[in-house]
Amino acid sequence: MNELMIMLFAPLLAGFIAWIIDVRGIREAIGIIGAAIPLGILIQYYSTITGSNPHVEYSLSVGGFKLLFQLNTINWYFAVIASLVGVAMAFGMASTSRNSYEWLFALMSYTGVLGVFLSGDFVGFFLFWELMTFASFMMVLRRNKHESLKYFVLSVIGAYAMLIAIGIIYAKTGALDFASIRQALYMDAMVGSMSKSLTALVFLLFITAFGVKAGAFPLHVWAPGAYSEVDQSYTTFFSGALSKAGAYGFLLLYILMGAKLYAALGTWHGHMMFSYIIAWIGAITVVVASFLAVLQEDIRKLFAYSSVGQVGYILLGLGVGTGLGITGALFHVLSHAVFKGLFWLVVAALILRTGKTEFKDFGGLAEKMPVTFAMALIAVMSLSGIPPFAGFASKWLIYEAAISAHMPLVAGAIFLGSGLAFAYVVRFLYAVWFGQRPSDLEDVKEAPLPLLIGMFILAIPNLVFGIAPGLVTKYLNKLFGQTVVGGTYYKLVTPTGTYNALLVTVLLIFGIAVAGLIYIYGAKARRIPITNTYQSGNPVTEDYNLSIRRNFYRPLAEALEFWLKYSWDRFYERLAGMFEDFADFLREGFYNGNVQSYSWYLAIILLILALWGVL
Amino acid sequence: MSLPHISAFYFASIALVLIGLYAVLVKKNILKMLIGLSIMETGVNLLLISIGYISGRSAPILSEGIGPNQAVDPIPQALVLTAIVIGVATTAMALSAVIVLYKRYGTLNVEEIRRLRG
Repeated sequence: MNELMIMLFAPLLAGFIAWIIDVRGIREAIGIIGAAIPLGILIQYYSTITGSNPHVEYSLSVGGFKLLFQLNTINWYFAVIASLVGVAMAFGMASTSRNSYEWLFALMSYTGVLGVFLSGDFVGFFLFWELMTFASFMMVLRRNKHESLKYFVLSVIGAYAMLIAIGIIYAKTGALDFASIRQALYMDAMVGSMSKSLTALVFLLFITAFGVKAGAFPLHVWAPGAYSEVDQSYTTFFSGALSKAGAYGFLLLYILMGAKLYAALGTWHGHMMFSYIIAWIGAITVVVASFLAVLQEDIRKLFAYSSVGQVGYILLGLGVGTGLGITGALFHVLSHAVFKGLFWLVVAALILRTGKTEFKDFGGLAEKMPVTFAMALIAVMSLSGIPPFAGFASKWLIYEAAISAHMPLVAGAIFLGSGLAFAYVVRFLYAVWFGQRPSDLEDVKEAPLPLLIGMFILAIPNLVFGIAPGLVTKYLNKLFGQTVVGGTYYKLVTPTGTYNALLVTVLLIFGIAVAGLIYIYGAKARRIPITNTYQSGNPVTEDYNLSIRRNFYRPLAEALEFWLKYSWDRFYERLAGMFEDFADFLREGFYNGNVQSYSWYLAIILLILALWGVL
Repeated sequence: MSLPHISAFYFASIALVLIGLYAVLVKKNILKMLIGLSIMETGVNLLLISIGYISGRSAPILSEGIGPNQAVDPIPQALVLTAIVIGVATTAMALSAVIVLYKRYGTLNVEEIRRLRG
């Protein structure tokens, strides 16, 4: 057995064993070991991948198909991120999961995601894509049937779209492995034997398929429900790694058909048409999801929308289409996986210890759960893009890319999205951790140790890749075979600017130290009751009581009232309703219970057939 | 020609089928529909028989002076024998269903017996 195979199937196998043994303690240990094996093997491959010939291959014959698995610069990167998040998820689940069912399907989706990243052909890609979808669907099904159905229907639409696209590509090129397809389509870009409209169709089908998984607008409607209706430790993986399969798919689109799409669809105002479409999908996703995230009253929903929005950044970076944009997007894949994973683990800890999910029930937990609070703080700063955290470096690269590619509106969309992101994480920070503590939260304890370990696993990359972003960009430069982002480990240099992370870190620490000194030796602090802080002396009426915990952004919601009337959720529900009504109408009309009508149908059909010449 | 032309058999049997079909499609009383079915069945049987008819030949019974070359086509006759039995069986079953329907609904009008719908 090759090491790639061990890596791929270790989580699945561990999941099965944990499911069969089902003894508390043992199944957790097996699950964590199974989740850690891929990470260990991938780290061993680091020297091979960064060496002169970064390519590892293994092929497997299954039922007449030859599945090709490979490890090269790009999918090693994705696989490492997925396995890092996977390990953190396993530690988190050791504290929060209640049964072996969850272990089985969580680890199964882990194998699915790794398989998607490692596949070298479309057969394996599709098989593992479906394994991943199935396992995550089972996780949602456990908690909420309606949401799982929504997820299932959209996933099925995506899966069939992908299958048709693969079929068209196979019919045109006769190949299923990525290397041959890439070559054939590259040649075809010059010859043009694949027609323009067919190329556009394949593009549309792939966008649908990958867009569903990435949660791109307007296919994002499954994400908020599905992310919030599973074990929150699993959501770490769901939103941290599984949604990246969609981003990986978009990247694959570039690798496989970039030249062909460029040749077929041409340019639009100086941008490549196809990537411009992706950039706008990303931009709209960022804005819409961020606005919706700001208006949520439930922590899980808030971060679910936030996840959708942040994946929008990745699509946007990919859509800019320049080397810088793709570097930024790939960096954001890493930073989103670590900070959003961390967020979900924090949410898991909060739900585990308090059993509450809405902002109005929280408050003042920083004293009760100090370590979790520190982790939440790191996640908040990384997400909102405060240097020196990983989230800043990646967003900075995406901004640079959007600006230097002359896409002012797209850049504006991400600026708006960032502002909104800050608005919602600040609310999370304040409403949950500071302020007055509700009396029923007096005996809340610190999160359990495994959960804390999981948080540490994700918090460290946030800091390390924030202070030394060059670690990531140097690796990503290999992908392009040239220096896209220059500089040292601590300093990023792009054609339009320089970011010195170490300097910022030093300044930040210095600033905090000064602020700390002022706090300790400065003016005397006076404790004030919580009700004094934000009413400015005006009495608060009961019907317009906006506190950080209740309806805080209601003025925004009122300003947006016109736009909030339109919802894709409702649109899809209505569409489903219309289909149902139409089917009912057909049934009522034709299947009317009258024997004589059926005789008429028979006679008419026989007559038609006779006239047609069949009989 | 002393014998009627063969197309007269075709015409009459197809006419019987159409009359039966008319009864099934238009009559509201189930018994009348069943009568229509029986008429249709008769028409079909007649049609089958007349397809096998060869002008001037006798019944396909192997006997003195009548060989395979002097007989009409025996296959439709075998088919029709089967079809008659099946027809009688289905009619009998349909009649029993009609009895049950009448007991259950107190009417034989198909428009009123609409609770069969699913």
